[in-house]
Amino acid sequence: MEHTDKTGILRQGVVVFVFLAVLTGLEFLIAVAIGAVGLLVVVAIIKVGLVMYYYMHIYRLNRDSGDDQHSPEYRTATNRLGLWLFLLSDSFVFGALAVSRFNLLGLTRPALNQYLGLTVTSVLLLSSFFMNRAEASMEHGDRRGFIVGMAITLLLGLCFVGGVLGVEWPTAIADGVTPSASAAGAIFFMMTGMHALHVVTGLILLGIVLRNGSRGLYSADKHWGVEAAAVYWHFVDVVWIFFYPALYLIGKLS
Amino acid sequence: MRKLFASALARGVLWQLAGWLTGALVITGIRMVMGLKPLDTFFFTEPAWVFGAFIGVLSFIAGSGIVGDWFKWAKGQQTPEHREDPDGWEKYVGISLDHKVIGIQYAVTSLVLLVVGGSFALIFRTELAQPGLQFLTLQWYNTLMSLHGIVMIIGILVGVAGVMNYLVPLLIGAQDMAFPRLNAFSFWIVVPAVILLLSSLALGGFDTGWTGYPPLSARAPVGMQMFFLGVFTAGWSSILGGLNLIATTLRMRAKGMTAFRMPILVWGAMATSLITLTATQLIGLAFQLVMFQRLLGMGFFDPAKGGNPILFQHLFWFYSHPAVYVFVLPGLGVISELLPVFVRKPLYGYRWIAMSSLGIALVGFLVWAHHMFASGMNQYLQVPFMYSTLLVAVPTGVKFFSWLATIWKGKIDFPTPMLFVLGGIVVFLIGGLSGPPNATVATDLHLTDTYFIVGHFHDTIFGGYVFPFFAAIYFWFPKATGRRMNERLGKLHFWIMTPAFLTLTLLMMRIGMLGMRRRIADYDPALGFEGYHIVMTIAGCLIAFSVLIFLVNLVRSVRHGEKAEGNVWNSRSPEWQVPSPLPSHNYENPIEVIGEPYDYGVAGSQYIKFSKGH
Amino acid sequence: MRHFAIIGVLILILTPLVYLGVDAAHVMPIEASAQSLTVDWMWNMDVAVLSFLFAVVMVPLVYSLIVFRRRQGETGDGQPIEANTKLEVTWTVIPLLLVMVFAYLGAYTLGQTRIADPNALEINVTAHQWDWSFDYPQGFTSNELHLPINRQVVLKMQSLDVIHSFWVAEFRIKQDIVPGRVTDYRITPILIGQYTVRCAELCGSRHAYMERPVIVSSQADYDAWVTQQAAAAAALVARGGPDAGKVMAAQNGCGACHSLDGTKLTGPTWRGLPGSQVQLSDGTTVAADEAYLTQSIVDPNAKVVLGFPSGIMPKFNLTDAQVKAIVAYIETLK
Repeated sequence: MEHTDKTGILRQGVVVFVFLAVLTGLEFLIAVAIGAVGLLVVVAIIKVGLVMYYYMHIYRLNRDSGDDQHSPEYRTATNRLGLWLFLLSDSFVFGALAVSRFNLLGLTRPALNQYLGLTVTSVLLLSSFFMNRAEASMEHGDRRGFIVGMAITLLLGLCFVGGVLGVEWPTAIADGVTPSASAAGAIFFMMTGMHALHVVTGLILLGIVLRNGSRGLYSADKHWGVEAAAVYWHFVDVVWIFFYPALYLIGKLS
Repeated sequence: MRKLFASALARGVLWQLAGWLTGALVITGIRMVMGLKPLDTFFFTEPAWVFGAFIGVLSFIAGSGIVGDWFKWAKGQQTPEHREDPDGWEKYVGISLDHKVIGIQYAVTSLVLLVVGGSFALIFRTELAQPGLQFLTLQWYNTLMSLHGIVMIIGILVGVAGVMNYLVPLLIGAQDMAFPRLNAFSFWIVVPAVILLLSSLALGGFDTGWTGYPPLSARAPVGMQMFFLGVFTAGWSSILGGLNLIATTLRMRAKGMTAFRMPILVWGAMATSLITLTATQLIGLAFQLVMFQRLLGMGFFDPAKGGNPILFQHLFWFYSHPAVYVFVLPGLGVISELLPVFVRKPLYGYRWIAMSSLGIALVGFLVWAHHMFASGMNQYLQVPFMYSTLLVAVPTGVKFFSWLATIWKGKIDFPTPMLFVLGGIVVFLIGGLSGPPNATVATDLHLTDTYFIVGHFHDTIFGGYVFPFFAAIYFWFPKATGRRMNERLGKLHFWIMTPAFLTLTLLMMRIGMLGMRRRIADYDPALGFEGYHIVMTIAGCLIAFSVLIFLVNLVRSVRHGEKAEGNVWNSRSPEWQVPSPLPSHNYENPIEVIGEPYDYGVAGSQYIKFSKGH
Repeated sequence: MRHFAIIGVLILILTPLVYLGVDAAHVMPIEASAQSLTVDWMWNMDVAVLSFLFAVVMVPLVYSLIVFRRRQGETGDGQPIEANTKLEVTWTVIPLLLVMVFAYLGAYTLGQTRIADPNALEINVTAHQWDWSFDYPQGFTSNELHLPINRQVVLKMQSLDVIHSFWVAEFRIKQDIVPGRVTDYRITPILIGQYTVRCAELCGSRHAYMERPVIVSSQADYDAWVTQQAAAAAALVARGGPDAGKVMAAQNGCGACHSLDGTKLTGPTWRGLPGSQVQLSDGTTVAADEAYLTQSIVDPNAKVVLGFPSGIMPKFNLTDAQVKAIVAYIETLK
């Protein structure tokens, strides 16, 4: 449920993060040990449920914003609806990519570096955790906490992009998974590329919000920009929660 | 003239062309440095054209200034909520945030596109009048035929957006859309998209039809890429427009306007927007994948690399089938909206009609593979997709029967908009009834990819979109301008277009069944179709002539039409309770719903009242 | 009540009229395969129900427009009629039942058209831009599809380049041919005659002309044709040389892309090719000798001529002897 005191929220963030981390580890072990596809899907859905509820606060869509269409609360609620509609639309791209991956490769997967995959996944998950802290801090008017949280999130996001584009891509190419060699390589680069594009967009949003936040443009009552950037950032994480098993864990090596 | 050149439109286009050239030169330069071949058949190489085109679209956005306010917000600055538009025509070539102006911008763009796409059809229709090639080459024929398809589709999407943009906020009593800047962005992004699409004419065209199936589309000239990029860009208009409309309908309704007291058109618009918001992403993705296959050799659809050409068809039709519901649902909404006005009776079965729109939209997501019965997809998919396809008949039937019950025992008037409504019903009926033979798989194996299909979908689209669109223009023209369109010319338009159109499509179906394939530039004289083709060509010309009458009527009436500032049609709808044309921000006194929308003939009933001031 | 009676009678009159009208118009081509009987049966069922639905909508519509039109001088509104839930449910449920019945019939007829005979005659079909060729089990290739009557045939179809679609209107069934896989087309011819296979899936500029004859004949005539073709083919390979090569080139549809009169089609013309210097797209130049010509047939993308895109010409199924003969033929085209 929604906590109102600051320490409660922060503690909740930690608990959720621990759950997510454990589940991610579990995923990895399931894949290595028994390769049960159904189980991997269930774990991914649980993870996404946790992120959507505790980090993205999907229940806020249901919040009563009064009858006055000119009030800031009403405006913010409309914006929130707009953002979620956009995410719904966007999820169709990622969904279609995932479907294409299974259509083309079935239950085989490209030969990728497992440790690299787990590392970038962890980095992104950790960034979501700090994003949540930053948003919670802003909700309670703690600008310092907000700036620290945002800066760490931004840094981890950069690490993720660097990890995928700068390390993972060259490694894959060196291992023979190239965009033009096979459909498997093509879909791997398309999925990670499309996701990376969204991460970069998210980083730009985070940068804008961090800058405006440090200039004192947000307050405990009025920080829609922070919330929007946070929800978008967590959405990018949600996509990766599905893409990580789809690319690294599910299926036999081809 | 100077005002035109200073407009956002002109700036955007100039910037786009400059950006295009710059992008192409950059890539060409890089290629020269890398020692790659710098130039190709169409001067620049394909990567240069594509990258340039992409930069061109971004330049249009930057140059026209549609994102200015968002940049200010990102920098932490405030902008005024509303912006005043200049008087006169300049506001239509500049950036306006008023949904009524944007609606008219959309509608005019749509008419322009329909005229362009229709002219393409007229050209190749004339070519088909005789067997053999008379004045077109094969490549030109195929390019015009393909462009006719996509230009019409974009034209219709834009027209749908126009109708919804202009009307929905008025009908629900809102001041504007939920996100006015996004609304302007959604419109303006169409302009560079159209320029890209038409540029394919100069870049070798493309001979794949609007479906662009690989591997054929992976081998077509560079024009193919312009087509992909154009559709991709226009897709954003659909997606963001749909998003805006849903948010508007859910959040901006007047007091007392509960879900089942909204004018029925709003339900159609909602159902349509749900589709554009989500499914459009898949055609965008499908086209992107082919673009990357061409540019980087990524083998998504290349069997030699383990790709699957059928996958493209699934992604493509997952959007492109629901897309026809995007075209027709608002049109059917217009029919439901106007019938009660002209029969002076309540709309029969309001809730059922509202739900049938949603039903069609949702079932529409589950039928896409009926376009692929002969494609070689997995056979076990054929029967379930046949079931879901036939299921569409149920909510569609509900609409027809409700319309009949609405007309029953009314007091029916026949002004021009009503004629087009009735024409729409009849033509859509024929389009609908020619559908089930394509759903029952065995018959479809004969009918698919023939002129039968061409006749069938032209009937559905004319009945579901074109006729209602004309009805809407004749009906709401006085609202937008304060003047009426000429009735006599309107009726002439109707009585020339309808018989000509029915002749055209029924003959299409006939020769299709006898062996006329789709998308062929030439046909075997041994088939004996010459006579039919001559009649069809004449019918096509008559349709064009009737549209010309309409355009003359439209342009003339803007200035010289009979003054009509009141409730011309004696409608109960809120927008007619105030004088035409409406000021920006619509209703000076907010409206409040106190009754049912369509209680024509119910003594003492009232739909809305005006509350006093803000 | 009077209104309903009139409408009922009119519907009963109009329905058979529409059905018989469509029937009398002979909308379908002649039935030349066993499968076409099933398809046409389904079509007739469709038309019967659609005639009824047409009448059910059109009769009340036109009747209302005439009877309930506003008369001269009449004012006021119509009588408001309350929506009747029972009626709405009725016209939802009845179409739903109809849909169920039709989906069943559709599935049933689909099954009927797919019944496979294990003794079906198997013929390999190759489609490429913009021609068909038919490989018979007796070891020859033809540009005409000859079929014996009353015996099921299964065509194993392959495409060398883009998607094509095999359609003979008189057989009704249509099947796409997707590159990278073999698709089956199964029919039983039941009427002797000459038909045409036409490509039904847009496959590029000359799509309209991708047609070849299909000839259904008696078993005896068919056997005679096969024997004669097989002998001719064997003789052709044995003979070799340019004359044989010319026939083979025609059988494999080379002329669809390579003209003999200097016209630029999809591929370079053969006229004046042998012995000439060919500019390649990688900037080099090569002499069009026997080795070059052979390589260009066996591995078409190894050397691509300037001005032509690569990846267009497919690899054909040709024996070394056939390639040799075709090269010999091209070498005569100085």
